[in-house]
Amino acid sequence: MRLLTHNMLSSNIKGVTNGFPLRIEAEKVVEKTVDFNADFLKNMFAKVEWNALVEASKTMGYFELPDNVESSMLESDEFLQKFHHALLELHLEEGALICPETGRKFPVSKGIPNMLLHEDEV
Amino acid sequence: MGSCAECSTWVYGGQLTNGCPPVYTSSSHIVVLKFAGLVGHNRKISSLKIGGRRRRRMIVNAAAATEKLQNGIAELYDESSGIWEDIWGDHMHHGFYDPGSDVSESDHRLAQIRMIEESLRFASVSDNSLQKPRKIVDVGCGIGGSSRYLARKYEAECLGITLSPVQAQRAQALAAAQGLVGKVSFQVADALNQPFPDGKFDLVWSMESGEHMPDKAKFVNELARVAAPGGTIIIITWCHRDLSPSEESLTPQETALLNKICDAYYLPAWFSIADYIKLLQSLSLEDIKAADWSEFVAPFWPAVIRSALTWRGITSLLRSGWKTMKGALAMPLMVEGYKKGLIKFAIITCRKPAS
Repeated sequence: MRLLTHNMLSSNIKGVTNGFPLRIEAEKVVEKTVDFNADFLKNMFAKVEWNALVEASKTMGYFELPDNVESSMLESDEFLQKFHHALLELHLEEGALICPETGRKFPVSKGIPNMLLHEDEV
Repeated sequence: MGSCAECSTWVYGGQLTNGCPPVYTSSSHIVVLKFAGLVGHNRKISSLKIGGRRRRRMIVNAAAATEKLQNGIAELYDESSGIWEDIWGDHMHHGFYDPGSDVSESDHRLAQIRMIEESLRFASVSDNSLQKPRKIVDVGCGIGGSSRYLARKYEAECLGITLSPVQAQRAQALAAAQGLVGKVSFQVADALNQPFPDGKFDLVWSMESGEHMPDKAKFVNELARVAAPGGTIIIITWCHRDLSPSEESLTPQETALLNKICDAYYLPAWFSIADYIKLLQSLSLEDIKAADWSEFVAPFWPAVIRSALTWRGITSLLRSGWKTMKGALAMPLMVEGYKKGLIKFAIITCRKPAS
């Protein structure tokens, strides 16, 4: 699971008011090279929840992202490379995503999150 | 497994001793639980004079039925995806064909791609660089054929959800092999409880997965919930024919045929196109368009049957498992359903209001 995906996932357990962002319990993180595409990054930038991305990348062991951003930073290749790396190249292979309100763990196995809810969570 | 004593509907799973899977009456959107010996058919649940304990048992049974259904669907696709992919490739949906045309075996893959393109065109999805979708959800993504195609076409991010862990893994492997790892991702998740915040997706895509949804209202609600303001929803699904104004339900023969198909493919309920339109209208979705594309998919099931009857097909089926074989044996029922005008291949699209 890449952080681009993590930035879109939320816990919708019954009764939870804000299930985003999910906390990450990282057991196995793998770095995989992904082709750099500046246009794709610029398009994604507008839709990314930045704080969630920064916190998640720290959990995955990457501390290079600035806490605060503005769109002018997209002109900087250095920034784009860091953004690219955090968003697309950090891969959670094994671990869990944790509902911020209930603490319920959604397992991530072989890079695939299992977000199925139990009967009593629906 | 067993059949309901009253209605002969197959029960999914041995735990339910006094219930049938929830079914929709054709003329209403209320789930009707048919219980052998407890109630007669087609009585709405709100009018049932059943005390607290029985009602709770019905609700618990319904939840158990849903879980059984989900497990059944996951197992069917865990078992059969590999053999499908081996023979048909990574698109697990009907092809779109010109009516009356001669179709050779090599045309089917192109027809499946054409189905995606025709659907996008029907829904007026723009590929203009400013208006094209940026975030797409593929609801019931299979092994990710649509996800990868759409992500490539629009240079967009696409997230796919499926109940089948095997499919999710395969989808991810194919994405990696095709260099799409930055753009598409796959999750095991339930279309009736999508693991996304509200309003994030410019395009909500459901290609031949609606048939599996036991609660169509919840399914459509979730599609609408995750759609971004101004976003497009595209549902391509199997429906039964619209009822005429004088009809309360399908005929017993029609219901019996659908039940047999349901049993083989883990389809819990059938809607008509009119039912879907009413549901979308009730959610105040805009630009609702629908069409019956049955005439454009006619060559598909006969072609699938032919592929199953090849040496490769038969040996693969025999190796695959009972669920897959049962699915294969049920294919002529689909042909029969289409021929009788009972089953419709439908596309229904709409837009979420911009504000």
